[in-house]
Parts: sequence; structure tokens; C-alpha cells
Amino acid sequence: MNSLDPRVIRLPKIEQEDIISPKIPLDQFGTFEVFVEPKEGKPFQHEGIVHAPNLEMAYILAKEAFTRRFTCTSLYVVDTREVYVSPMTEGENNAYELIPDAKESLNEKTTFEIYHLIKRGKQHVHQGHVAASNPTEAMAIAKTIYNKGKTVFNIWAIQSDKIRFTTQEEKDLWVTLPEKKFRDASDYKGGSKLKAFLEKEK
Amino acid sequence: MSEIALKELLYKMADDQLIQGHRNSEWTGMGPLLEEDIAFSSMAQDTIGQSLALYNLLHQLGESDPDTIAFTRNSTQFHNCVLTELPNKEYDFSLIRHFMFDTAQAIRYEALTRSSYLPLSQLAIKIRGELRYHTLHANTWIKQLGSATDESIERLQKSLLYALPFALGIFEESPYEKEIIASGIFEGEQKIKEKWLTQIQKIISQTRLTFPDIDLIQPVIGGRTGKHSEHLQPLLDEMSEVFRIDPTTEW
Amino acid sequence: MYGGGNTFEGIKTDSIQQEDPKRLAEFESRIDRGEKIEPSDWMPALYRKQLIRMIEQHAHSEIIGALPEGTWITRAPGFKRKMALMAKVQDEVGHAQLLYSAAETLGKSREKMIDDLISGKSKYSNVFNYPTYTWADCCFISWLVDAGAIVNQLANAKGSYGPYCRALDRICAEESFHLKYGHHCVIHLASGTQIQKDMFQEALNRWWPPMMHFFGPSDKISIHTDVLMRWKVKMGTNDDMRNQFLDMYVPKIWELGFTIPDPKLGKNPETGRWEYTEPDWEEFKRVINGDGPCNKERLEVRRIAEERGRWVREALKSPQAVYVVPLA
Repeated sequence: MNSLDPRVIRLPKIEQEDIISPKIPLDQFGTFEVFVEPKEGKPFQHEGIVHAPNLEMAYILAKEAFTRRFTCTSLYVVDTREVYVSPMTEGENNAYELIPDAKESLNEKTTFEIYHLIKRGKQHVHQGHVAASNPTEAMAIAKTIYNKGKTVFNIWAIQSDKIRFTTQEEKDLWVTLPEKKFRDASDYKGGSKLKAFLEKEK
Repeated sequence: MSEIALKELLYKMADDQLIQGHRNSEWTGMGPLLEEDIAFSSMAQDTIGQSLALYNLLHQLGESDPDTIAFTRNSTQFHNCVLTELPNKEYDFSLIRHFMFDTAQAIRYEALTRSSYLPLSQLAIKIRGELRYHTLHANTWIKQLGSATDESIERLQKSLLYALPFALGIFEESPYEKEIIASGIFEGEQKIKEKWLTQIQKIISQTRLTFPDIDLIQPVIGGRTGKHSEHLQPLLDEMSEVFRIDPTTEW
Repeated sequence: MYGGGNTFEGIKTDSIQQEDPKRLAEFESRIDRGEKIEPSDWMPALYRKQLIRMIEQHAHSEIIGALPEGTWITRAPGFKRKMALMAKVQDEVGHAQLLYSAAETLGKSREKMIDDLISGKSKYSNVFNYPTYTWADCCFISWLVDAGAIVNQLANAKGSYGPYCRALDRICAEESFHLKYGHHCVIHLASGTQIQKDMFQEALNRWWPPMMHFFGPSDKISIHTDVLMRWKVKMGTNDDMRNQFLDMYVPKIWELGFTIPDPKLGKNPETGRWEYTEPDWEEFKRVINGDGPCNKERLEVRRIAEERGRWVREALKSPQAVYVVPLA
């Protein structure tokens, strides 16, 4: 291709199809929700999604898509289909009011992570975890533990063993992040140069 | 400790990283999927950042400043292995090169965490997490694409065979090899290469790719002494196009 | 990066009459209260349609916007510029990723959006259909096109749709580095050699008309979009955005000793608004409709990137991973 861009000139020629055939959903991958821990000890919060073919790929893709710019200490991902969502409320209405009270079940229990939305328009934030035999029961139990203080507009529950967590060994993935000043506005202070320039121009 | 041996080591590592990072950065905005575009660019940034750290060490040892070193030398003055300067071709080759190069980097820097040259061991410890991500990324992708469709397997296999002779050139020995080993700065290319082969083969064995008989492969060497392919000089010309308009001014 | 403008022209509002009046009233009062609309909430069909269109165009602008600056990554002078530009262009790709995800919550898949981009069915910001001849063109984009985009994005971040606002909050935080970096570059050109000064002045001459186009046609000729304003989809008129940009950046450009190629440009002390030569809206229309200096190349590059990536995506396809609409 004729171009000012040397990268474009190097591109291989691709057969021009007359009609662009719409992609069959073949390369639309699965959807995975991404959660980030902004600081050691602070709760994880929902940051967005990546598309990926599986959980492990979602993890490596989410790492740079969501944790390259602002300092953080950990990350995890989960298939969107594994996120159980309560009804959404507004105003004074607490989403927990719509969750029926827990009936103690005798089935085998597993751990669920619980997330709250306490301001519409903001992100879901991790609250803690509960042992339950299913997501509905998990929310019901969460109601007895975490439903304190602020109105909760939406609750998520995710079975813990469906999550790709960061391992202890991988905690060093973010060690150099605070030093990557070239991605930070603070590294581009032009003030003194500008001042010197203005002095000279006077 | 001989300074010339140390500088030789720093130069070849820095040049490797600069050229590899530069090549990988060409994919920015043109990657096969958005998330991967971002990941690949981050790794290119890490790699160039690492080269800058080494050029700074060289500067402290009396060499020119990093910009002058990186943007004004000719290809014959570069010590990078030929693998890093090869054009990107398609994503299969870029991935295979990333896999081979970053596996070698991770092993090299792991050894350097024990270096007797403190600035280098400190750097090696610091960037361990960056390289952990690079190898996690490379291994995950190679395992995925190396076991997926006929096309992806065939592409990776071809790129693997094409890249291997160049990859072996990473381990071209320095004239100061004995000295640098004796001084405890670096355990030497031979050891790194053995660990590298084991690691590469371990990952490849988890795919449907086949690893050739390594003894039959002739390494492409010469990069360490400034003998490069026809691809390096144009790369450098492009890289320094703006800088050379006036190397003395601040851009 | 994103320019406002032609996005909303000629919308048909007939469908509003068919909406359930009770739900519509609830929806509107929620917006009036300043609350965000979330994907699971009821919304009028027109709201959904226009949001998809706007967010999608914004996403396309990011991914296409990565090209005119991306070309300078391999040529950036010195380590500091090289690394900054890599990170900046990468951010633009990242913004596209965030924005496509936000649009997806409204029910259109990313693949469909990218198809529509490549086929020319959906638009992106006009400004990226112009070439970057020199390093200074690249600096112009980094500083001033990003500055324009921030004016738009800060306004849109106060809009009514939750996922879009969240994406924009993140994008605006990232853009502060872009703006600082771009200004830093231009300060260096301004205070550098004559060659550097001339280089930027020439870039400024080339880029000023597209920069004025960036905010979209004048309010005098663009179709009114009251309903979209009321629903907080569109957050300010094109002329308001343009005026805000001029107010913030013209003094900074002048301060550096550069001349803006418009003899009529000046702030009216009485009205407090900027006056300027009316931009050539015929050219704007021509370029939007495909006849700009780089339209063909931009789409062709995107198509080649898609084609080259096809085998990768096919190989990654797995029956276990099923596409679902993002949650938030």
C-alpha cells in the first residue's frame, strides 16, 4: 500500500474481497469479568471485561488491559456466566429486601464471594465470602452478615473456585508498576522549560 | 573484574532488548485482538525499559548517554543477536520469537540475581515480575495455538523451525566468557542455553508441535560482533529518523 | 480520542410515541434525579440505539486514532518519547477495548461493531483521516486532538448511561498523561531550534482546519437534538465544546509563539465567546463520507489487521467459551 506510514508499507497484501462477509460469531470469544485490588488490604473491585477463549487466557489478557496504568496489587477474573446477580433497586430500596431469608440447607457447601453496588453508576466492590450450597442461599446468608449500613442496590455472588486468582508466587507481577513513570502525567512537567522560554521571548 | 568484559555483557543484553522491544512495538494498533494488542505493547515497553536501565549502567561506566548510544550507532556497532532484528512477519513468528527470547531472558536474569556486579543483580531482582508475566504470556499462547487448529499448528511449527537457528544465536559466546564467569558476574551462555533448551522443550512437549533434533541445527551467530542481517540497518535508520535531524537538540 | 458532531444528525423520534408512557416517565425522572441508567434497567429503544451509535463511533475513533500516531512509534526521537508514545497509542487501543465493552452492554457484539467499521457502515472521528507527515503532526495530535477529546469526554462522563460513564472516568484519568506528554513535546519544539519551531508551525497550519471540524458542524446548521440532551446522551452543543476548547488552548498555543492560521480568530470580550472563520463544512461532509486524504488507508489497515488476526482468533475459538453480554 502506498502510505506515509512505514509500518503500513511493510504490511502484507491481503486479497481484497468484494463484499466483506460478516463474521459468524466464531471469533467472538467468551466474556470474563475482571476485578482488581487497588492496594494491599483494600477490597477488590469490578473494573470491566475482557473477551477470551478461556479463564487462563482471560487472566493474562486482563492483566495488561486493566492493571498497566494505575498502581495495584492483585487481579482476578471469572467467566461472566458464573456471576449471579440480584435484582437492581434504586432510591431507598435495598436489593437485599428482595432476597428471601436463608433456609438452612443440608447440602454440601462451597464458598461464594459477595459483591455490593452501593452507588448506582459506580463499580461493584467485594464484601467478603460466605459458605452456601447455591448462589441464592449465598445471598441470603450474605444478607444476615453484610447487609449493614448503606443501601445496597445490587448484589453479586460468585463461587470462589470458579475464579482465576493471582497466586502467591505471581504477586510480584506488579512490583515495577510504580516505577513506570513514563505512563504518568507527573513525568511530563514542562513548567520550568516553558518559563525559561517565556523569559527569553520577552 | 575487567570492565571491558562487563561492558560487552551489558551492551549485548541492552541491544537485544532495544531491538526486540522495537520490533514488538510495531504491532501496536495492529494486533490480532484488542486485548492482545495491549498485552504485547506492554511487554515491548517493559523490554525497552529494561534496555534503558542497562544503557544507564553503561553510562555510569563512562559510555555515552542512552539516547546517543541507542540512536546514533550503525548496525555494525550493535551487539544484538540476529533473532531480534528479523522482521515481524505474521503473528506466529512474532509469538515464537517472543517465546524463545523471553524464556532466555527470564533464565538469564534469574542467573543474574546472583551476579557479583551489584547493579545488575539489583536490576534482575527488580524485574523478576515483569519477566514472569512475559513467560506466562508466551507459554499460555504457545500452548493454546500449538494445540488448536491445523492452521495454527502448521504456522507455529514452521515459525519454530525457522526461528530456532537464530534463537541459538542468543547464546553466542563472548570473547570474555571465561573472565565473566570467573568474576562471578554471569554464569555464562552455555549454562543458560542448557536451561533454555529444557524449558523450551518442556512447553513444546505440551503441544502438538514437534521439536527437532537440536544437534542438527546450525546456530546463526555473528550478531554479538556486529555481523547482522540486511534488516538491522533499515530498522536503525527508521528508529533514528527524527533524532538524527538534530542529535544535539532536545526533542 | 473522539470528536463530537455528526453523530446525531437526522434522528427520527417517532419511536418515542410507541413507548410505554409510565416506564418512559420513570426513566426520565431517574435521569432528572441525576441517577445513572444501568444495562438491566428499562430504556427507550431510541436511547439504546443512539447510545450504541455514539459509543461505537467513539470506540472506532480510538482504534483508528491509534494509526496516525502509531506510525511514529518506530521513529520517536529518544527513549523518553519512544516509551511515552508506545504507552499512549496503547492506551488508545485500551480505550477502544473499554468502549466496545460499554457498547456491548446495550446488545451489540464487538465483532459486529468491527464489521460495521470495516465495511464503512459506521463512522469514526473525521480528524484521523488526515496524514501525519512529520513528528510535529504527531505532537499536534498528542497535545491538541487529545485536548479536544478530553473536552468532549469530560462532558460525556456526566451523561446518563452507567457503563459509558465508568469507561469515560477511566479514560479521562488515563488521558491526563496524554495531554501532559503532548504539551511537553510541543514546549520542546517551541523552545528548540528553528527547524523544530518551523516543524510545529507547519503541522499547526495543516491541522487547524480538521481541529475546528473536530467538534462537529456549527449549531446553526446541525439538527437539534433536544431529546438526546434531555436524556443526557449528548451533553453539550458542538459550538459549546468548540468554544471551551478554544478558550483553554488558544492562549497556550499563542504563548508558545505559534501563529494560528485564522486571521479572524479572537475572543469577543463582550460575549466571552470565540469568533473564527467559519470552517469549511462542505469539506467536513466530504471527508466524513469517505473522501478524505486517508479514509481509504485507515480502513484498509484495519481490514488487513483483522484478516491477519483471523487464524489466531479461529484457533482460539472454543465451544466452552460462549459469548455473553457484559454485566456492567
